[in-house]
Amino acid sequence: MRTLVFIVLVYVVFQIIFLSSSQCARLSPNDDNLIEQTCKQTPNYNLCISSLKSDPKSATADVAGLALIMVNVLNTTTTQTLIHINSLLLQSQRNEVKEALLSCVDNYKIGVLTADVPVSIEALTKGNPKFADQGTQDAANESNSCEEGFSGNSPLTVENTNINNVAKVANAIVKLLL
Amino acid sequence: MEDTLPCSYSPLPNGPPTIEGPLDKRRPRKKATLIIFSGLLLLLLLALFVAITVGDYRNSHNVHENENDEALLATSEPSSVSIPSEPVHSVSRGVSVGVSEKSNRVFADHNAISYPWNNSMLSWQRTSFHFQPEKNWMNDPNGPMFYKGWYHFFYQYNPNGAVWGDIVWGHAVSTDLIHWLHLPLAMVADQWYDINGVWTGSATVLPNGEVVMLYTGSTNESVQVQNLAYPANLSDPLLINWVKYSDNPVLLPPPGINKNDFRDPTTAWYTSDGKWKFAIGSRVNTTGITLVYHTKDFKSYERLDGLLHSVPDTGMWECVDFYPVSKTAGKGLDTSITGPGVKHVMKTSLDNDRQDYYALGIYDEKTDTWVPDNPNIGIGIRYDYGIFYASKTFYDEQKERRVLWGWIGESDSEFADMKKGWASVQGIPRTVLLDTKTGSNLLQWPVEEVDSLRLSGKEFDKVEVKAGSVVPLDIVSATQLDIVAEFELDKEALERTAQSNVEFSCGNSQGAAQRGALGPFGLLVLADESLSEQTPVYFYIAKGTDGNLTTFFCVDQSRSSEATDVNKQIHGGFVPVLKDEKLSVRLLVDHSIVESFVQGGRTCITSRIYPTKAIYGAARLFLFNNATEATVTTSLKIWQMNSAFIHPFRAK
Repeated sequence: MRTLVFIVLVYVVFQIIFLSSSQCARLSPNDDNLIEQTCKQTPNYNLCISSLKSDPKSATADVAGLALIMVNVLNTTTTQTLIHINSLLLQSQRNEVKEALLSCVDNYKIGVLTADVPVSIEALTKGNPKFADQGTQDAANESNSCEEGFSGNSPLTVENTNINNVAKVANAIVKLLL
Repeated sequence: MEDTLPCSYSPLPNGPPTIEGPLDKRRPRKKATLIIFSGLLLLLLLALFVAITVGDYRNSHNVHENENDEALLATSEPSSVSIPSEPVHSVSRGVSVGVSEKSNRVFADHNAISYPWNNSMLSWQRTSFHFQPEKNWMNDPNGPMFYKGWYHFFYQYNPNGAVWGDIVWGHAVSTDLIHWLHLPLAMVADQWYDINGVWTGSATVLPNGEVVMLYTGSTNESVQVQNLAYPANLSDPLLINWVKYSDNPVLLPPPGINKNDFRDPTTAWYTSDGKWKFAIGSRVNTTGITLVYHTKDFKSYERLDGLLHSVPDTGMWECVDFYPVSKTAGKGLDTSITGPGVKHVMKTSLDNDRQDYYALGIYDEKTDTWVPDNPNIGIGIRYDYGIFYASKTFYDEQKERRVLWGWIGESDSEFADMKKGWASVQGIPRTVLLDTKTGSNLLQWPVEEVDSLRLSGKEFDKVEVKAGSVVPLDIVSATQLDIVAEFELDKEALERTAQSNVEFSCGNSQGAAQRGALGPFGLLVLADESLSEQTPVYFYIAKGTDGNLTTFFCVDQSRSSEATDVNKQIHGGFVPVLKDEKLSVRLLVDHSIVESFVQGGRTCITSRIYPTKAIYGAARLFLFNNATEATVTTSLKIWQMNSAFIHPFRAK
C-alpha cells in the first residue's frame, strides 16, 4: 500500500512538472526569462510582454529577434492606424483636421512604413543595429508630429500614443544590442 | 496576431498510460512491477531535468536536438523558424549604456504645431560646398586617399533610396578636396561575402605605388568579414574600376568575437619587422576593443595576441582610426611614421552613442602597444560636439597634411528625408594637428582650399555689443558664409563677476536664453528678421569657485526652426583658452550645415539646421550678447562663399 501511495505521489509530482514545462513545448523556461529580462529594460513592460508573446517566434528568439518582432508590431500597428485615418478622411472634416490627417498619412506611410520599418529590419538582420536605433526613434517622433498637427483636438490620440509606446519599446530593445 | 499561447498543448505523454496498464496487473506481480515502474519514473524525471538544462541553448540546432532527445515532449508546432542563430547576449548588463539622457530628449519635444515641409524649404537644405551625392542616402567616408594627382573619396551609399540600406561604395574625385566630380560606383554587393552590404573600409597606398583597399563585407549569412580589393588599372588616375580579390574574404571573425562585431578596418602601417599592420574595432561583452592584425601581402594575416586598446562599458567600437601626429612640426605624418617626436591618436566611433572620441598616446611599434598619455582618459575626448560620426583620416602626401573626413547625418525626420530625396552630407575636410600649446588635444581646421571659395568679404571692426542686446550685421546674404570672429569681454566685468559653483554644460542648459554674468554672447545664424527662427552660436563663460574662468561654446537649436520634427538640442563643449588668448571662432554656414571651429580648432561643433522661414533671401545674421554684466567687443570678417558646383565627371 505504501509503495503504491509513493508511486502515485511521484507520478502526480511528475505530471505537475511535466505539464507546466509543456506550456512551451520546445524550450526551457529560460526563454520566457529572456523575454521578461528584455522587457524589464523597456519603458512599457506590459506592452512589451504582450507584444512579444503574441508572436510564436519570441520563444526561440535572441535579443535581435525580439527587436525584429517589436518592429513588426510597429509595422502592424501603424498600418492599422493608416486604415483608420483613411476612414476618417472619407468622412467630412474641417479643413484643418483634414490637413492634419493628411500630414499624419505622410508621417506614417512615408516616415514609418516606407523608411523606419524597412531600415530597422535590414539593420537588425544585417548586424548594424544603430540604424534600427535611429529608425525606431524616428517612428516615435513621427507619432508625435502626427498628434501635434491637431493642436489639441486629435481624433487619433489613442492610436498615436500606441504607436509611440510601441516604437519606444522597440527602441529600448534595439539599444540593448548597441 | 493570434491570441494563443506560444505552444499548443501537447497530447498527454505516453508515460502515464504505460504506467496505468501495468498498475492494473500489479496484484499478480506486485513487487517486481513496482520496482520497474519506480525505475521508469525516475528515468523519466531524469530525462525531464536533462531536457530543461539542455534547453538553455537557444540555437535552433539545439532546439532540434531537444526534440529528438525528449520524445515525451511531442508537439505539433512547426519545428523551424528563420531566426538568425547566434549565441545569446547576456541581457543583464551592468549599465545600459545605450539609453542616454540625450536620446530621451529627442522624444520630449512637444511645443508648436507640426509644420508641413514644402519643396522650397526642402530644396534650400542642400549644401553648396560640402560633399554630398546628387541624391539618396550616404553615411561613412571610405578609403580616402591621394593618388596620381587626385584626391579620392569613397562613401557608404544607398543607390535605391534616402534611407540606410542596400549599401554600396560611391566614388568621387577632386584635385583640391572641394570641387568634387562624381564617378560610377566603385564597388557593389555582388559577391556572397558582401551581398548584404559593402561596408566601410580604408585604403593603404604602398610605397611601390600599389593601392590596397580593405573593407568589411556583410555576407549572405550576415557575418561581418574583411575583404581585399584593388584598382583594376593602376595607370587610370581616376581609379574607376575595382577588382575584388578572388580568395575573399581574407579575414573572418576570430574566436571569441561575435559575427556582428567585426568591421571597419583601418589604413595599414608598416613597421620595422617588415610587416603591415592594421587595426579593427570590436567588443567583448560590453568592453570595446581594438584588434590588430599583421600581414606581409594583405592576403594572409596573423592576429596580434593583445589588444591595442580597450575600455570597459563602451560597447562596440566602429570605424577605429589609428595614426601618428607630430609633436612639433605643424604638418601631418605618413601613417607608418613612428619615433620620439611622434604621438599616436587612437580614435573610435561608439555605436551606442553615435559619437567619435580620440585619445593621444605613445605607440611602441616593436611591441605593438599603445599607452595613453592620460591613463584616466577612458575612451577619450570628442572630435566634435555636434553631429559627426564614423570619421576617418588619411595622409595627403601632396601637401604633407593629415585630413579628416566625418559623416554628418540628418537631424530631421525620416519623412522629410524621403520627401527631399536625400540624406547626409560630409563635414568639410579638416586638417588635424597636435595642439602644441596644450599638448593634450588636437586642432582641426577646414582645409586651406576652402578659402578659395571666398567671394566678397566685409569687415566689422570693434563692434560693441552691450549686455542684453542684438546687433544686425548688414551683409548681402546669409546662407553661404565663412565667418572669422574675435570676441573680447570688458575686463571689469570679468573681475567683478561673482564666483559660482554651478556646473555648466551646453546640453543641460536653457540655451542662449540662459543668462549668466559673462555669457552667452556670439552670433545668431540662419535667423529671420523677426528672430522667430534663430540659431545662436555662442560663448558662455563660467567663473568657478577658485576664481578661474571656464569657457564653453554652444550651438542652440531650440529655436532654430518652427518645425517640430527637427532636433532641438543644444550642442557644445568645453573650450581650452590659454592666458592672454582672445576668444575666436570660425564659422562655416552652408545652408543646412553650420560648422564652428573655436580657438583655432580646439573645440568643434557641427550642427544641422532646418529653418522654415530663415531661408534664401530671408536669412539674416546678427551679433548678440545675452549676458547680464559684460559688454562684448567683436571684430569680424564675413565672406560670401561660392558654390563648389559638385557634379558628375564628364570625360572631355
